Amino acid sequence: MSPELEKCSRSLLVCEKSNFTKEKSRYDIHVSKHYFNYKVSIVIPECASLPASIAGVINSFNSYYRVRDLPIYKLLEEEFLEKVVKKGQFYALSYNTRIDEDNTIAFLPSGQLILSVDKDTYEQLGLEGKPSQYKHRKVLRYVVTIDLTDKLMSPGAKRYQRLITSLKEWVPIKCDLMISSKMTAEEDGGVLQNLLSQYSFEEHRPTLHTHTLKEMPCPSLHSTDRHGDEKSCDPHHFLEWLGAVSMDISSDNEASSFLSTYVCPDPQSLMSHGLLCTVTGFLIPEDIYSLLLELRRYFDEPKFTSWLSMTVHGFVDSPVSWGTTEHGFLKSGENFYNFVCFRNQDYWLHMATGSHDGCPP
Amino acid sequence: MVCKMAMFMDLNVNFTKDKKTLQNIIETAAHLGYSTVAINYTLESQQKKPEIPKPTSISDLFTKLPVVQGRSRPIRVLSRLTVVATDPSHFRPNAEYKAFDLVAVFPKTEKLFHAACMTFEVDIICVTVTEKQPFHFKRAPVNGAIDRGVFFEIVYTPAIRDSTMRRYTIGNSLGLMETCKGKGVILSSGAEKPLELRGPYDIANLGLVFGLSEGDAKAAVSTNCRSVVLNGETRTTAFGIIRTMKKPPPAPTASEEDKSEERENSAAKRAKMEH
Repeated sequence: MSPELEKCSRSLLVCEKSNFTKEKSRYDIHVSKHYFNYKVSIVIPECASLPASIAGVINSFNSYYRVRDLPIYKLLEEEFLEKVVKKGQFYALSYNTRIDEDNTIAFLPSGQLILSVDKDTYEQLGLEGKPSQYKHRKVLRYVVTIDLTDKLMSPGAKRYQRLITSLKEWVPIKCDLMISSKMTAEEDGGVLQNLLSQYSFEEHRPTLHTHTLKEMPCPSLHSTDRHGDEKSCDPHHFLEWLGAVSMDISSDNEASSFLSTYVCPDPQSLMSHGLLCTVTGFLIPEDIYSLLLELRRYFDEPKFTSWLSMTVHGFVDSPVSWGTTEHGFLKSGENFYNFVCFRNQDYWLHMATGSHDGCPP
Repeated sequence: MVCKMAMFMDLNVNFTKDKKTLQNIIETAAHLGYSTVAINYTLESQQKKPEIPKPTSISDLFTKLPVVQGRSRPIRVLSRLTVVATDPSHFRPNAEYKAFDLVAVFPKTEKLFHAACMTFEVDIICVTVTEKQPFHFKRAPVNGAIDRGVFFEIVYTPAIRDSTMRRYTIGNSLGLMETCKGKGVILSSGAEKPLELRGPYDIANLGLVFGLSEGDAKAAVSTNCRSVVLNGETRTTAFGIIRTMKKPPPAPTASEEDKSEERENSAAKRAKMEH
């Protein structure tokens, strides 16, 4: 077989083992820097139904808006910029755009605007940007990063005017956007609602699905594994098993079935029932952090299981993965992280990305 | 301006007189995520009097073009002429060729292949997939074609239909890749039925079997196709900068019409001479 066929697309997995109570652990930074998340799935072994406290946290997640055909320069007008974007906690991502085919727009909570545009658009926009890191033979994608909190971008300045002119007259970029803002209407003076009401928009709540897993093997994990101790299964097999569980793929590996040869990794134990809970929507890091805190409190009372897992998936078409690290799509655009929380507040953190991605932090 | 960037394209959908089949193929292509398809009219030059087919107008096929899946833009349908040539006299670019957005040639002999790579005004050169390549690919003509911006096309539906053809397709394409090193290749379907189409990411994976690298295989369905379409457009312009269009006759007086056409033709001539 030719050597090229044996190679798979490159993917990266970074694993970290630490404790939530340790001062040096940076789990909160990892959560807060992964800005655009579309799905959180929680797996709790030996749990029959979703605990009320966790359901309560999920119900208090922020709503998000989907606006159609919003011209981007409207989000950069002086009033909106000062009252909403620059205050932080404003997230926006273009919807129904593919990162490897179309122009993609993202507003980061740090006050930055990311425009991932193709060559034709970049040449017409006339803004300064960098060629994408994931080019093949020719550069066909450029990333324009604009720091809106910079003094040089304050309204009235030359660079600000140029930005507005580019997006208003030269290349009027309009797209469907998903917008989430932690600020309430009183705090921002109703500016966001005013803007949205000029266009067709819908308000959405994150959707919650729960599923009870019955009588299936599940890996036994021990938090005290040191490198090479091998009491638990290795991260790749564990994540594969988690993926099979959330996709409802059987991991029995029966001789009569040719559909799936996935197997629960050893060491394993049989669980009588388990909980799979999925939340989907435009989820912001602050909400995910509060969910993680609540999951840590799950072990405050004695429970049958010694571990539970939370996986957070990022949008495959987002221009950034963690922080401002560029994200691309070759054959797949996965960028997700997974927490395994233990009874003693130890945790394992796995962060994974696909081919066109920088290394997770 | 229609955005043509790096979107997936299938530049070889076989023309059939059956309107329903053609409509179904184009709808399937839009559903699979292709943003552009080209309907291919083949001209077999071995007939006594080869008639150059006229491209069907798109409005005949669809009153409203199907929207590409996941996007709000409708699919773009182009027209393409493929000249199957066994003799240099078979390929004669004339005004009728200009009616097509893309022109391709399918050379059957080594001499013709060399001529097609170095001199013919074409956008695409087809590579045999249904039988063993009768001649080897030499580096000089292949590199010459790549420098000129002409792309080599590998069609994948014969490989789907029959296992013997699959061997020929893989063998011939591996031979081409050895010479061209993965540059200047496009993959397209040659589909005659909607079921023969495959999604763009699947074809990018299939490109690995044909000897392309991951990045080259994805480019073969997206960015290289874009280059082919742009080349096709420049064929009707003067040096890719100036394009003339026939003005529709505005007024009844015959002398005015002649004058406006003359003005356009002389403007084009002047542009050619200046550059």
